[in-house]
Amino acid sequence: MIGWLLALPALCILGIAFLWPLAALFRISLNRTLDSGAMEVAVTGESYAKLLGDDFTWQLVWDTVTLAASASAMAVLLALPVALLVRAASPRWRGVLALMGIAPLLISGTARLVGWMAILGDQGLINVVLQGMGVIGEPLRMINNWTGVRIGLVESLMPYAVLVLLAGLGRLDGRLEEAAATLGANRVRTFFRVTLPLAAPALLAAWLLDVVLGISAFITPKLMGGGRVFVLATEIYDLALESVNWPAAAALAMLLLAGLLALLLLRGVFSWLPGRRA
Amino acid sequence: MLGVAGLTAAAMPAMAQGNGQITVMAYGDSIFRDNYVSAVIEPFQKASGTQVQYFANPGSAQMLGTLRSQKGDPQVDVVIMDTTTAALACAEGLVEKVTAQQLPLLNDIAQQARDAGGECGPGVTFDNLVMIYNTDNVKTAPTAFADMAAPQWRGRVGLGGPPNIQGLALTAILAHANGGRWNDISKALPALKAIAANTQTFDPKPDAVTVVVSGQVDFTTNWNARAQLASIQSKGRVGVVLPKEGTAFQINTINVVAGSKNAAQARAFMAYALGTEAQKAFTERVFYGPTNTKAQIAPEALNRTAMAPQYRDSIVNIDWAEMQKLRDSWNQRWRREVVTAAP
Repeated sequence: MIGWLLALPALCILGIAFLWPLAALFRISLNRTLDSGAMEVAVTGESYAKLLGDDFTWQLVWDTVTLAASASAMAVLLALPVALLVRAASPRWRGVLALMGIAPLLISGTARLVGWMAILGDQGLINVVLQGMGVIGEPLRMINNWTGVRIGLVESLMPYAVLVLLAGLGRLDGRLEEAAATLGANRVRTFFRVTLPLAAPALLAAWLLDVVLGISAFITPKLMGGGRVFVLATEIYDLALESVNWPAAAALAMLLLAGLLALLLLRGVFSWLPGRRA
Repeated sequence: MLGVAGLTAAAMPAMAQGNGQITVMAYGDSIFRDNYVSAVIEPFQKASGTQVQYFANPGSAQMLGTLRSQKGDPQVDVVIMDTTTAALACAEGLVEKVTAQQLPLLNDIAQQARDAGGECGPGVTFDNLVMIYNTDNVKTAPTAFADMAAPQWRGRVGLGGPPNIQGLALTAILAHANGGRWNDISKALPALKAIAANTQTFDPKPDAVTVVVSGQVDFTTNWNARAQLASIQSKGRVGVVLPKEGTAFQINTINVVAGSKNAAQARAFMAYALGTEAQKAFTERVFYGPTNTKAQIAPEALNRTAMAPQYRDSIVNIDWAEMQKLRDSWNQRWRREVVTAAP
């Protein structure tokens, strides 16, 4: 009972700031958009039916999921050495290195992306250097396309992966690696046969968290995509603020939310599998 | 005081005068906000004694959202928003209807601006689509949108694509120029695909002027008022062209919010904003075309707008209410046929 009372403020905030707007969003999704573009108060599933019957919606889902999955995999791959370095460091340096690993989170995402635009643009640092060295004639096109979005997304997801891996690797029993070394395994073999398998749950958790964040990412595809990278979040934005079709935007947002909840549920089921628990 | 009193007395005899406070909701970008406050709001305040609070919003869709959420208890009295969104506000009863009997000044407003408002408030500013280019890199001044399709500009073009209304306007202009009616997208598609083959971005970020000035691209489409200011502020580094295929108006309408608690002062402000004095001041300051046909604009300012006599025949008359119905299908065709033609 006391626990519930203590949780009450947080539950109230959750209700007011999340559940109530969510209910309002769901209600809007049931309204009707007239040919004139005006919104008519109604209770209809027309927006859902139209979205689900449109090939473009499914293309968006595919592109969004594959982008999030691949960028998350890359982010986890890049985060793993950082997390291992922090784990191996002396306690004196561990805090500093961990802070460096998650430092990008201390800067606004938009500011970081504007920085990437300056670095990756046609007149950006990389192209200027490569052209100055005579390596390339024409500038490499690294923004306003999928390449730019992937680079920006990997960079923005990596700190979250570092955080999860730091927590996960911190629980590994270092004596197992010492035992492997004692039995004659070199460092590479120890890493692949002992450390990596033990780190697998943390790697999976980091990847899943990044996938969820990647699926709902908006700023990166909006700023780095050049209007030619269409994902669910940018489509919701366009429907709401360009086409001013609120029922369709709300319906797509609800479908995205349902997909993310399904993903989290899947993660929960996965973590309860007997083999996983062992 | 006499100016406004005389104007509003003629426009709306029953209108209350002076005092009180109203909230005007309009665009939040500094070009529009700062200049509108200086050219229109401050003189109105001085003349009428009514205090005006400027409620800045990023765009028309957000303004519509504010109106929808405050429908039962409006906190805004006047709204200046794009005609496509204002039409929705009018259809949903969020803004007042207005007739020439109530506001005789409407008789001085250009027909296209009146049509843009439908039964509700008329257009208060005209803007129009132009092409801008980097004069350092583009040595021969372009004359047509089609010039962006020349082979040497591969990857050097930025376009505002649909659902942004710049892309819709460009499509209508090219359809009209290529022998069709403005609403026949099939006539525009070959020209759009040719330009798209050189296009690096369909959503220039951070904005259409910055990407040209920074050298990220050499051409973009833009709205005239901002382009003219950019040209002046960049000391000519940004060139502005009203292309020979023509141009189309983007129209901002002015409306009194339905249920406004300060309706009399709000109507007085609307009348002032549509009057010759405010129209002249705003056009000469920031090059939005006047909608009041009796406003006497200085030639050097008028020549920077599509309202100049030499450009009148270049204007493609888009019915934005019809465009609203086409928007979704045009958006899909752009994505499937135009954007995919980009390198």
